[in-house]
Amino acid sequence: MIRRILDFVLVLLFMWACMILGLWLISGVIVPLKLPWINDRVVTATIKVAASVGLALFWLWLWREIVKRMFWHTLRSQESRMKKRSKKEKALLRKSDKD
Amino acid sequence: MLMIVELAALSVGFVVSLLSMPLVMKFMKRKGIVGVDIHKKDHPSIPEMGGTAVIIGVAASVLTVIVLTPGKTHLLISFLASTLIAGAIGAVDDLKPLNAKVKPFLTLFSGIPILLLGAYNSRGPVFPIVGQTRLTIVYPVMIIIALAVTSNAVNMMDPFNGTMSGTCTVIAAVMIVSSLLLSQHDGLILSLCIFGPLLVLYLFNKYPAKVFSGDVGSLSIGAALGAIAIIGQLEVVAVVAFAPQIMNAFYGLSTIGRLYERREVPRPIVILDDGRLMATSDPDAPITLARVILARGPLHEREAAQVFIILSIISGILAVFTAYLIKVTV
Repeated sequence: MIRRILDFVLVLLFMWACMILGLWLISGVIVPLKLPWINDRVVTATIKVAASVGLALFWLWLWREIVKRMFWHTLRSQESRMKKRSKKEKALLRKSDKD
Repeated sequence: MLMIVELAALSVGFVVSLLSMPLVMKFMKRKGIVGVDIHKKDHPSIPEMGGTAVIIGVAASVLTVIVLTPGKTHLLISFLASTLIAGAIGAVDDLKPLNAKVKPFLTLFSGIPILLLGAYNSRGPVFPIVGQTRLTIVYPVMIIIALAVTSNAVNMMDPFNGTMSGTCTVIAAVMIVSSLLLSQHDGLILSLCIFGPLLVLYLFNKYPAKVFSGDVGSLSIGAALGAIAIIGQLEVVAVVAFAPQIMNAFYGLSTIGRLYERREVPRPIVILDDGRLMATSDPDAPITLARVILARGPLHEREAAQVFIILSIISGILAVFTAYLIKVTV
């Protein structure tokens, strides 16, 4: 039970920290960014919005990839563990039958 | 006087829901509006649409607060209207299932009362570290989307008995604590209005369920919690508190690649002979939060539901910490 919760807590903490870092990046780096070679304010604002949206999408993609990999890895290792256990049980059963 | 309003908001909703729930259950059973509890070996028939009692409780609570504090009528009416719109969509879906694309589209309308009555911070949300944002143009659009997201995310997170009602009760409690921390009185009152009815729903819906909330309950509760986040200026706190719901919906949608109804895709969970639930290894089944939790091995439904609630409590603690960060920033 604790391992199941721990998996989730680690993902949650990582994503939460990424969210706070992302917010800091947007407010501290992207928003004050000056682009001297672009004079149009609308173009500058559009670039900033696009960068922020890109960052948010990257955050979501990262989240999805972590969980997807974690899920399939856990499921496969669990399945192989169950197979091993059932093989062991069968072997023990055969041994006791022989005895 | 303020203390009386808060007590009234909490107790009226709780008592009215508690009294109306058995009547709703009896009515649904008589009309044949029942659902099969597929995770039980004997597949019992359980009355559906128990969420109606939540809506009745919320409405009674909100109307009581309107009588006691007439100055905040527009906030309370917008909250109630958003809840009722989402509830009506849910009721239609319960009686005649809606298309997987139509339902999310219709829930977009639940945010309109908040915009029409101006029950939001026109400057935009307050972020931790960043502080007050200036999203005057984007924010109204975000409100419409936010309520559709919360209502549908809550609707998708109802795999086991007591999961939806339990996790949403935790979220409402988090909203109460965060409102107190940030001195958001509107958020506090609205959270108290829904906390009582949610507690009643959890008592009746927890394992083994005596009633199912139905879409009428899940969509209205999701919209109500989303509305509290907007009206009470608890947007970021709500995002963190809603993490399990967002994860569940996001994982499912990203693996299937489109909006879907549960009946359209392979089941992510199977029941073993001993009654325990196990995650399938079917690559076409959606990776839901329930499936992720069960990937570590089979569990009984009661244990799986407990894991959901524990996860929600952990997200809630993180959400309260986020509220503290906002307080420090502001």
